[in-house]
Amino acid sequence: MNNIKTELYPQAIRGGGKKSEAYKKARRALIAELISGVTGLLLAGFIFGHLILEGTMLFGKDLYEVVAYYMEHPLPLAQISAFSIGILFFVHFVYASRKIPARLYERKRMMEIGLSIKKAKKRWSQPKSDIMLRRHRETSLWIWQVRTGMIVLACGAFHLFLVTWNIFTDMGYADASGLTAKIASSRVESGLWILYLVLGISVVAHLAIGLYRLAVKWISDTWFNRRWAYLLCTVIFWFYVILCIAGVAALAGKLTLIEIPVGDLLIRS
Amino acid sequence: MGRTLTFKIFRYNPYDDGSKPHIQEYTLEETPRLNLFNALNKIRDEQDPTLMFDFVCRAGICGSCAMMINGRPTLACRTLTSDLPGTIELYPLPFFKMLGDLSVDTGVWFREMAQRVESWIHAGKEFDPNAEETRMDNKTAVAIYNTERCIECGCCIAGCATANVRSDFMGAAGLNRIARFMIDPRDERGHETWFELVSTDEGVFGCIGMMGCDDVCPKDIPLLDTLAFIRRRMTAGS
Repeated sequence: MNNIKTELYPQAIRGGGKKSEAYKKARRALIAELISGVTGLLLAGFIFGHLILEGTMLFGKDLYEVVAYYMEHPLPLAQISAFSIGILFFVHFVYASRKIPARLYERKRMMEIGLSIKKAKKRWSQPKSDIMLRRHRETSLWIWQVRTGMIVLACGAFHLFLVTWNIFTDMGYADASGLTAKIASSRVESGLWILYLVLGISVVAHLAIGLYRLAVKWISDTWFNRRWAYLLCTVIFWFYVILCIAGVAALAGKLTLIEIPVGDLLIRS
Repeated sequence: MGRTLTFKIFRYNPYDDGSKPHIQEYTLEETPRLNLFNALNKIRDEQDPTLMFDFVCRAGICGSCAMMINGRPTLACRTLTSDLPGTIELYPLPFFKMLGDLSVDTGVWFREMAQRVESWIHAGKEFDPNAEETRMDNKTAVAIYNTERCIECGCCIAGCATANVRSDFMGAAGLNRIARFMIDPRDERGHETWFELVSTDEGVFGCIGMMGCDDVCPKDIPLLDTLAFIRRRMTAGS
């Protein structure tokens, strides 16, 4: 019994040499996961900035004009962003949507099992026995992430198209080119406020849930656990939802917090 | 004294052509500290000897008695009826092969999973029984122990949205098993081997993060932490 061979499964120990097909397949899966996560993170960062800059309208048209001016001078930041965000937007859609099951009965089954666990909370009393009864929210969150994702895909594509057209051309009007408070307000006043509200709330919900999922998937074993991630993303969601609604109201000329007269700073011809 | 409990139990025998899936009701007087293990045995002994369900250890160790209890996959032996309302709905675990009524075959799936992930220490060195055991630091030992607490009840698989629609998905139990050997310094499998095994849509990147596994695990194994660890390990090593 002194010579027990443990080399029963030597095929499992590999290393070096040419990468196998399985390795390449695994690398593709990793890259797809990273692309969907990183593009989501970049888009979330962009939306954070975008909504804050949009929110400057709350402090008067003058400040908005100053911000809009510096978005195009000296560098055409708005044009660069519209173009690059457009690309990121579609790349994110392609890679993130690969997780949505294609068949309807699969989606129904996923919902069924998730909601069954969620609703079980109400069908149990608070346990006195040693079994933990955790609250299950993530299925609902995931379903809403998919729904808001679809809304963002439709409304966001339209918004991107409109903005790109707007900042690259004069849209047939001599004074309507580029970013100005007048154009932004006229878009909102012409009835597009509905689109901006739906898009704004959906995009914020989508990114808050997305950030929560990213945190839970990648760093939940650190001090930044699931509870912290949920708390932070809830704060992000409400802050930006309120900012978004207020921003749309400000663009429609219905709300101004404080008028900051900074028009003199503007060196616009 | 106690309540009268109503049990609505899913009945179906796949091996009987005449059997149709249906819900059968039983009533039982609740006694103090009654758990579902005792309740089901009482129903079988006193009311219906044909009722099929699995139990072995009645102490949350064997993992046989997992079932859907009021919509949630968990262990029947660790569930007190006092934690449940007067009406208790019992279904077998989804995903696994059904044997009859509340009994499912988790064993075949777990054996296949163990073979697939090669659930044993891969060591190329010849074993010397006279040599001193290799030392392991406490942190590693605790981490391994945490993953090894899995009793293979199948609740995480039954509660996993992805596994419910994709039978080739390893599920939290499979990934937890992989993590156990990944942590173990005695296992000599290199990064490439792990990478091919786990960094796939059937492995960790098939998970969509609904976290059903972590929410229902009756042993409170930190499955979410394990999955995060595997994801980072796969990314860092590549």
